[in-house]
Amino acid sequence: MAKAKPALEIKGRLLSITRIRVLEDDAGLIEAQVANLARQLGPAAQGLPVLIEAEQALDLGPLLRALRGHGIRPLAAIEGALDGPAAQAGLPLIPADVLSEAAAKPGPAPAPAAPAAPTPAPAPAPARRTRIVTEPVRSGQQIYAEGSDLILLAAVSAGAEVIADGCVHVYARLAGRAIAGARGDESARVFCKRMEAELLAVAGVYAVAEQIQGELRGKPAQALIAHGKLMIDKLDW
Amino acid sequence: MTKIVVVTSGKGGVGKTTTSASFATGLAMRGKKTVVIDFDVGLRNLDLIMGCERRVVFDFVNVIHGEANLRQALIRDKNHENLHVLAASQTRDKDALTQDGVEKVLKDLAAEGFDYIVCDSPAGIERGAHLAMYFADEALVVTNPEVSSVRDSDRVLGLLASKTRKVEAGEGRVKEHLVLTRYNPARVAKGEMLSVDDVKEILAIPLLGVIPESAGVLTSSNAGTPVILDKTSDAGQAYDDVVARFLGEERPQRFLTAKKEGLLSKLFGG
Repeated sequence: MAKAKPALEIKGRLLSITRIRVLEDDAGLIEAQVANLARQLGPAAQGLPVLIEAEQALDLGPLLRALRGHGIRPLAAIEGALDGPAAQAGLPLIPADVLSEAAAKPGPAPAPAAPAAPTPAPAPAPARRTRIVTEPVRSGQQIYAEGSDLILLAAVSAGAEVIADGCVHVYARLAGRAIAGARGDESARVFCKRMEAELLAVAGVYAVAEQIQGELRGKPAQALIAHGKLMIDKLDW
Repeated sequence: MTKIVVVTSGKGGVGKTTTSASFATGLAMRGKKTVVIDFDVGLRNLDLIMGCERRVVFDFVNVIHGEANLRQALIRDKNHENLHVLAASQTRDKDALTQDGVEKVLKDLAAEGFDYIVCDSPAGIERGAHLAMYFADEALVVTNPEVSSVRDSDRVLGLLASKTRKVEAGEGRVKEHLVLTRYNPARVAKGEMLSVDDVKEILAIPLLGVIPESAGVLTSSNAGTPVILDKTSDAGQAYDDVVARFLGEERPQRFLTAKKEGLLSKLFGG
């Protein structure tokens, strides 16, 4: 007998959502800054989901009005000081620890107060997407991950080239060329599970196979910039 | 449903035409209506290996250019009535092939009720090789156990995964098979040749068969009979395995280890 079609699909729970932290309980400042944010975002502001957090209890009315007035959609408040005000405003609550991972990074939330200062656009840029390639990269093929990391799940053959503005991860044999930090990001690295590379480069500093230590051949390895030089190190896998 | 199979390699001289001839003949021997097309316009060889060079009147390019119809150009094999050859033109070059022309011929062959169309690709990755693989459903990638051949095959696998009609139309991918030819287990053991496992690891596609290096191949080529017809030769048996596996039969891999040398051959240097 055929199984009934499921009505719901449960997807991943880690979302990247803009959080707005209220620092000053001043309706005028809030309205001005939200207006400023909406102008910077342009059409991206329409329907933009946000979460609200604050250290102290405060009246959420002015903020919610300002956000909704500009088409921004407040989804919920984060549990804690806002328990009471959120209940009053009819806003759902989200436990803080659900988002702890996202909170570790400085969120793209608008900069605090000082409405006069033209804050460097805190545009919640579409999260930098990593390019994932599951097929082998064959000799003569070139893959470039513009503005992002590149993850390769199958071998990179001799004569192939994999390039990223961010890091390059090869969870297989790397026998071709791998270039990380193609636009000069010196913090980028190349990681591979089996290093047999023809060339490794980070931010324009490169080493060809001949310059790469023999004992790393066939081993998990990484390439990074340290003190302006390209270092190739083993990775303990 | 007609299946189009390209026999390709990138590198020249690895055994594409030998493989095409034996593979097509093997399919026909198993009752499949098969045609094998020589895409190597300007350097035609398939007719020699198939032993029909003295019966070529019209060729593939004539059909593409409308100078002959398909039935006039198809050469029926002397021993297998459901095996046909479409020869290449020796006087033209690869520019005589057009994508539309090739597509039309393949469609017409399908309409003739062929089960398999085997496209014998020229070496290289230019026009002739591109058109030979472009319409393929499956590919036999012919490789020698040697680094440059393996790298060229790798390049071709990249093209099969990107520059084919099937992929461009989003209808999936060309099914790839590895045929490792000119395999010499004794030299592999000495470290002079790559092993099957080395090649499989680099290319990462399923192995259809290993064809041992064999004197029988040259003899058969010169005689104009596909080596698969020589049941006594190990290469012929290996091609028979290849065809059987291609059609879904389970057969263990053979010819992977060196034959035990007898005392006499040791004494006289084999």
